[in-house]
Amino acid sequence: MIPLSWYLALSAVLFTIGVAGVIIKRNVISMFMCIELMLNAVNLSLVAFSSYFRDAAGQLFVFIVMTVAAAEAAVGLGIIIAVFRNRESLDVDDASVLRN
Amino acid sequence: MSAAMTLNPMLGLLAAAVGALVDYADEMLFGVLFLLAVGAAVSLVTQRNPLYCAISLVFVFLSLAGLYLLLAAPFIAAVQVIVYAGAIMVLVVFVIMLLNVEDEERRPLRLRYLIPTAITLAAVLFAEVAFILYFVHDAGPERANAAAPANTGLTANIGAGLFTTYLLPFEITSVLILMAIVGAITLARRASVLRPTDVVVPGAQVLPRHALAGAEQGDASAVITHTTAEAESALGLTNAPHRRERD
Repeated sequence: MIPLSWYLALSAVLFTIGVAGVIIKRNVISMFMCIELMLNAVNLSLVAFSSYFRDAAGQLFVFIVMTVAAAEAAVGLGIIIAVFRNRESLDVDDASVLRN
Repeated sequence: MSAAMTLNPMLGLLAAAVGALVDYADEMLFGVLFLLAVGAAVSLVTQRNPLYCAISLVFVFLSLAGLYLLLAAPFIAAVQVIVYAGAIMVLVVFVIMLLNVEDEERRPLRLRYLIPTAITLAAVLFAEVAFILYFVHDAGPERANAAAPANTGLTANIGAGLFTTYLLPFEITSVLILMAIVGAITLARRASVLRPTDVVVPGAQVLPRHALAGAEQGDASAVITHTTAEAESALGLTNAPHRRERD
């Protein structure tokens, strides 16, 4: 049986890499993907807890997190397309002002 | 005889190796998936081409699906592959292709202290998590529950939970998705083809003179026509087929 802490450690590593990616990356789509990575890291720890404590609630939360992630993907990519249409660029530094 | 003598210990060694492989199959599988997930995540952060980032992220999702299977959560593993690796990443790749994104330019970062800041913050975050893990580790309630059968992750149990105890969050989720659909359509809709700075003269078409056949090169003074037919005759395109009609 794999200890729970191994899963939590992997989750922490993935979340940390996601945080670092969001800070380092300049491309909106890459930052978006790093956020997805962070969501997945949290999902992993939820599933690990759910599986070890024999409680299905954690996996229900994961299900809902995935739904929210799908909605976020739709809206986020819509925003990215709208910004790209205005600025002709995906660099976040080019879109630091909300005014057109 | 001597060949059999030397073969026997080797067979014994092989049997021991296979036995260890079977005993530690979980751990080895976890190790492989761990390395795949972390490697793909590092690749996600270090790649410059967003398309390669997307492929790395798909590998992270797939290895996480494998870990969910290892945790006896087959439903979540299937949803992970279908929703994340399938739907969301297809959407991301579609947007990357649609916007025709090239590599990130290697221009100097506007904020030079950003990468050291990111690494420092990540290290602090990881230290916090490691601290918590170190002290929570020997709480050990999982040992108390380890004897119970692992059927929490089965689809029937999740469905039962979803439609009884957690029915309200489930319904709120559907409203959320409806809002996301409306929001995405509103955001991505092309409000108008013209930019706010463009000046429009109704019914007029303005061409630079050097666009006309036979005109002197570099003559940028304007020719103004008022109908498509006039513009076609000015350009010498009267008998040319329309692009629409060719398609």
